[in-house]
Amino acid sequence: MKLEETNNQFQEQNLPPHDDNVMDEEETEAVSPWRDGWKQLRKNRLAIIGFAIILFFILVAIFAPLFTSYSYDQQNLADRLHPPSKEYLLGADHLGRDIFTRIAYGARVSLQVGFFAVTGALVFGSLLGILAGYFGRWIDMLISRIFDIMLAFPSILLAIAIVAILGPSLENALLAIAVVNIPIFGRLVRSRVISLREEEFIMAAKAQGMKSGRVILHHILPNSVAPIIVQATLSFGTAILEAAALGFLGLGAQPPTPEWGQMLADSREFIQLAPWTMLAPGLSIMLVVLGFNLIGDGLRDALDPRMKN
Amino acid sequence: MKLKSSWLLLLLVSFVLFLAACSGDGGQKTDKGATDDTESTEESSEGADESASGEKVLIFARGGDSESLDPGSTTDGESSRVTRQILEGLLEFDKESFELKPALAKDWEVSDDGLTYTFYLEEGVTFHDGTPFNAEAVKINFERWADPEHEYAFADDGFVYSMYGTMFGGYKGDEGHVIEEINVINDYEIEFKLSQPLGYFLQNLGMSYFAITSPAALEEYGPDISEHPVGTGPFKFVSWTKNDSIVLEKFEDYRVEGLPKLDKVIFQVIPDPSARLIALRSGEVDIMDDLNPDDAAVVEGEDGLTLLTRAENNFGYVGMNTEKPPLDKKEVRQAIRYAIDKQAIADALYAGYATTSKNPLPPVYLGYNDDVEDYEYNPEKAKELLAEAGYPDGFDIELVMSPTSRPYMPDPKTVAEIVQNNLAEIGINVTISSHEWAPYLELTQNGETELFILGWSGTNGDPDYFLSSLLHSSNKGSSNYTYYENPEVDDLLDRAKRAVDQDERADLYSQALEIINEDSPMVTLVHSTPVLAISDNVINYVPHPSTSESLAEVDFAN
Repeated sequence: MKLEETNNQFQEQNLPPHDDNVMDEEETEAVSPWRDGWKQLRKNRLAIIGFAIILFFILVAIFAPLFTSYSYDQQNLADRLHPPSKEYLLGADHLGRDIFTRIAYGARVSLQVGFFAVTGALVFGSLLGILAGYFGRWIDMLISRIFDIMLAFPSILLAIAIVAILGPSLENALLAIAVVNIPIFGRLVRSRVISLREEEFIMAAKAQGMKSGRVILHHILPNSVAPIIVQATLSFGTAILEAAALGFLGLGAQPPTPEWGQMLADSREFIQLAPWTMLAPGLSIMLVVLGFNLIGDGLRDALDPRMKN
Repeated sequence: MKLKSSWLLLLLVSFVLFLAACSGDGGQKTDKGATDDTESTEESSEGADESASGEKVLIFARGGDSESLDPGSTTDGESSRVTRQILEGLLEFDKESFELKPALAKDWEVSDDGLTYTFYLEEGVTFHDGTPFNAEAVKINFERWADPEHEYAFADDGFVYSMYGTMFGGYKGDEGHVIEEINVINDYEIEFKLSQPLGYFLQNLGMSYFAITSPAALEEYGPDISEHPVGTGPFKFVSWTKNDSIVLEKFEDYRVEGLPKLDKVIFQVIPDPSARLIALRSGEVDIMDDLNPDDAAVVEGEDGLTLLTRAENNFGYVGMNTEKPPLDKKEVRQAIRYAIDKQAIADALYAGYATTSKNPLPPVYLGYNDDVEDYEYNPEKAKELLAEAGYPDGFDIELVMSPTSRPYMPDPKTVAEIVQNNLAEIGINVTISSHEWAPYLELTQNGETELFILGWSGTNGDPDYFLSSLLHSSNKGSSNYTYYENPEVDDLLDRAKRAVDQDERADLYSQALEIINEDSPMVTLVHSTPVLAISDNVINYVPHPSTSESLAEVDFAN
């Protein structure tokens, strides 16, 4: 639903043509859509909250070893299912491992998965989208149908199928999530390119004898960046959620790697005995995904010219 | 106004549909729940009343699905649990022990030399398919197990009767095979001639593996018999939805008058122990096996639930495939034994319902050797041994497991993670891979694993069932998962099998255990006392140490 929405909005909207020459003028004119967008974004309180959440988790991920004296796979079986206390800030899990430490290291895993999966999907999706949108005809036909086929599967099902074929591991889960997200970026970019292709400044560039590659790189791509950024932010959240789902099913990170979805699955058995083992990873997943969605929504509002006051 | 009332109608219809969908979801369970309720309310007003729809359906929740429902060709406890209800052997075990009781054979005689056994069979018994049970049927079943060439052996379809081979010393034509001939004297009298005495011959006949299948069904279903069991037991087979449920219904012509009490039994697979317990609490199921020991204390104090235990009759272990390098080196295997902290595992995961294990045999058994030196947790010593074996920096290895809870191990996944952690301390880098129960057994049987987690529960009360099954080289490819081979041990086990004098047997087993302890094909972890929980409403349910018990007498309290 959300994806379709963004998609359509960007299809309809008309960002000012974004040309090499204009770029230079922007600096002086101070009405650059980017600067304007940033202004808008700062006004959006929810987006700021989103930023704060993500920043918090990024810091936790980077400085994880500083916060804790435990290592993420250190088992103290005697303190199994220890409730939250001074020694164990968020309690200990079924193997007596410090949950806080595992959440912190798990943030690394989740953010990395999100980043690489989205980057991969973005690069390949955009490439295919541009090819399909710019060259049209049979290339478009072929690529679009492939996208249609991929989108016909529920994304998690497709991801499970891919991991089932490749074997369960964090890398394969990452790959699967990237692949699943390719058509989302592909379609977005394709529709953007199709509408841009008919714009006068592109026509002009072509008429001047500019090569296709140059037109794409210097004119089409810069003008498609805004929707891609918004989509990437939103996909970041989904990717993390999908990684957690695969982890929960035992198809993602393998033990002892601390992965939130897997932690959730492990603690399922103790939901009545030790609910804190479940609360921490569950809340972490929720917060990070919420954070990315808030930022994504904020960015969309900020970069969409129709939302300007 | 009109519009409003039509909306109301629509709302009403959708609500009714919603309710209907809900009850459809519950299936038979809802059925049963409903009757239970009506029964109890009616009882308070006008005494016990079996309402017309009062089918008594018992739902038994367990962790894993059965491998096969042909009892002779499987060693899986989840299979015996079900086949025990459908098929019967000549003899059976008493409710709570391994004491023998008559079943299809009402009486028997043993010749003085221990070589001739004569059985007098129950008369007038029919199989579920209506064909009569007689001596010929018994003979066909035994020949089917003994002879791979037999028309019903289905050897080409992968049927192997490994328990027959283990318990009766091999197959037709093998040197150690003890059953020389089977003579049908008349319809209800059959004679087994042995080539050599076998101390536990009768004990074997009580095992669920040697239950008699209808020859007509073997003819009809062929290799599909593994999914269409037909026996003489109290319940007959109805349907099997793989990885979900097996449905059995009352056999009206059961040989014992008045049994079974229940109309239907459903074995429901719920892999997660906590989900099983929740299902029991909500009344969705009536019995759950393999309770997580952590929950035992809670269940004990809970109204409406009863905690039961099975006698300690098993051990859980980390197996090491002795044919796969570097596990083919004895020092490496010993190092792994020293590295694993089994006391911590017992303390952490069994809530007091387990003791650590040093022999692959429970302490109550004949021949248990208490003198073997235990491998106490000692990472330093483990490192030394590894260095000695030429692996000072450790190595990478795969540990395969199935997360299915077992009587000897309620939470194999956590055990796997503890083992992974323990071995990391001595430099062995373990990757864990996890499979469903049935494919997992196949994988380990085929020797495709390096480290694996399994266990063994006794089913006839004899040490041979533990030691020969698990460690005799002739059982590679079936129950000797570690592919352990030591001619000396083979010889001791063979001799113990033939010996009739119990002291002599005990001595031979003790010697074998000594060598096995040195060779260390497996890290024995714990002997557990499995805990299970049942609804207070269920009566006459007695857990058997073999993990398979008859449900014929089980009933609901009201």
